[in-house]
Amino acid sequence: MTNIPSDYDENSPIEIAASEWLARLDRGLTPEEQDSYTEWLAQDAAHREAIGRYLNDWDDFDRLAGIHLKHHARIDPDLLVPEHLQTLKGRSLVQNIVLFSSLPFAAMIALVFYFAVSSPEETSGLKVQPALELLARIEQRTLEDGSVVEINRESVVRAEYTDSERRVYLTKGEANFDVAKDPDRPFIVNVAGVDVRAVGTVFSVKLSKNEVDVIVTEGIVNVKPSASLFDTEQSIADSFLEIGQRAKVNLRTDVPVVEVTSIDGTEIDVAHRWQPRLLDHDEILLGELVEEFNSSNPIQVTLSDPSLANVSLSSSFWSDNVEGFVRLMESSFGMEAEWRGSREIVLREAN
Amino acid sequence: MPQRETEQSSWFVDAVLPHEPGLRRWIHSRFSAIRDVDDLIQETFSRILKIHESGPIPNPQAFLFVVSRNLAINKLQRMGLEYAPETEELDPLVLADEMAGPFESAALQEEIDQLVAAIQSLPDRCRQVMTLKKIYGLTQKEVAAKLGISEHTVEAQIGIGMRKCTAFFQQRGYKTRNSR
Repeated sequence: MTNIPSDYDENSPIEIAASEWLARLDRGLTPEEQDSYTEWLAQDAAHREAIGRYLNDWDDFDRLAGIHLKHHARIDPDLLVPEHLQTLKGRSLVQNIVLFSSLPFAAMIALVFYFAVSSPEETSGLKVQPALELLARIEQRTLEDGSVVEINRESVVRAEYTDSERRVYLTKGEANFDVAKDPDRPFIVNVAGVDVRAVGTVFSVKLSKNEVDVIVTEGIVNVKPSASLFDTEQSIADSFLEIGQRAKVNLRTDVPVVEVTSIDGTEIDVAHRWQPRLLDHDEILLGELVEEFNSSNPIQVTLSDPSLANVSLSSSFWSDNVEGFVRLMESSFGMEAEWRGSREIVLREAN
Repeated sequence: MPQRETEQSSWFVDAVLPHEPGLRRWIHSRFSAIRDVDDLIQETFSRILKIHESGPIPNPQAFLFVVSRNLAINKLQRMGLEYAPETEELDPLVLADEMAGPFESAALQEEIDQLVAAIQSLPDRCRQVMTLKKIYGLTQKEVAAKLGISEHTVEAQIGIGMRKCTAFFQQRGYKTRNSR
């Protein structure tokens, strides 16, 4: 509702052209259309004025997002028909509207919500609940300096940046760091009192009960257990790691020792299996696909009938997308998925 | 106007920010091809702030999802990827999220009512298209599937709908705080 001219004529050629461009912009322009749109804009200031007004008003209508009624959780194209609205007792529309986002694409979140609210009693005899945190996708976080951290499920990473250093705390689990270069501000991951220091490298850090495990896949890092945290007066040796090297620090000894070994590509792949990758196959046997999926996820898929392993199919989904995998199997390959325990899914042919 | 700014930022903190983790998770799960999620969220936030500046947003959460979804689909298109529309009978799963607060004033309610009235004034097909686009946030493709009409018709109805809404606002002399 911005600056509508007093002589507005909805049938004028400019208004028709501008509103049609709006509709195309909303759908997404083809490269050819992009060119003619630029040309059309350049032709006349009135064109620019008109499309600017339509774009503004179009965005204005986004305010109405999600104002459905409680009893209209389903998508209803006739939601705004006056008779439909009469079911609201008296007051103005917005006051009565219970605001939900019952949008179809909120499915994943809603799924999480469902599992979070249903009590075991309610679901006993029904599907077993999967562990929520295991369904989440692997988180990829870009830090303020552009460094990218891939954080495994059930892991916790916190960044504290100052002018002189970039310090990141890994307090649980494991993560892979792709560090943006900045020689003036070292990047340090602190994990259980061990400092892993880098300048522009890629490395992963894993914290388990008794040890810290560091693997370098690019550049050089320095691993140094901090003396004060280990409560020792003795000096602790630090170690430099190069590409293809792994350091393990045992946290249960009095004086921590950094043990460095060299590892090959296969070992690195195994250690990094949790990191998301696209499982993109034109033709693969279901048995192989399941194996690949299982090696990347804490949730394990089994096949009810071993002969299913020989079913040939094509696939394209991210290895950490548990929900997507299950949905793909159900919607495209006629399977039925059943949760058995919180970490196991059984696939069988749907009846 | 410092007063306005304070209102704006406390609204943002109370009504918008709490939805960020959910939004982030959802973008990750639904649009795994998009790696720069921070960027997408930033863009969505700046849109919601701009729109809120000029009038009320009854359901900030739904707004965030609808707008970020549109931005994500645009991004995919620019990457040369096709967005597969949701198949129809997905559960109408409900995130029971109460409105962040009651409407601030009658004047603000009126602005929402104006938008609703404009859509109500449209011919049936137009009204349905605008409802599915703006209240449910569907893409043109999804609207076409839902109504069983061609995508071309949906596109044409959007143009017609916006011209008729503009005429409606002009005849009624409707204004937002944005209008000069």
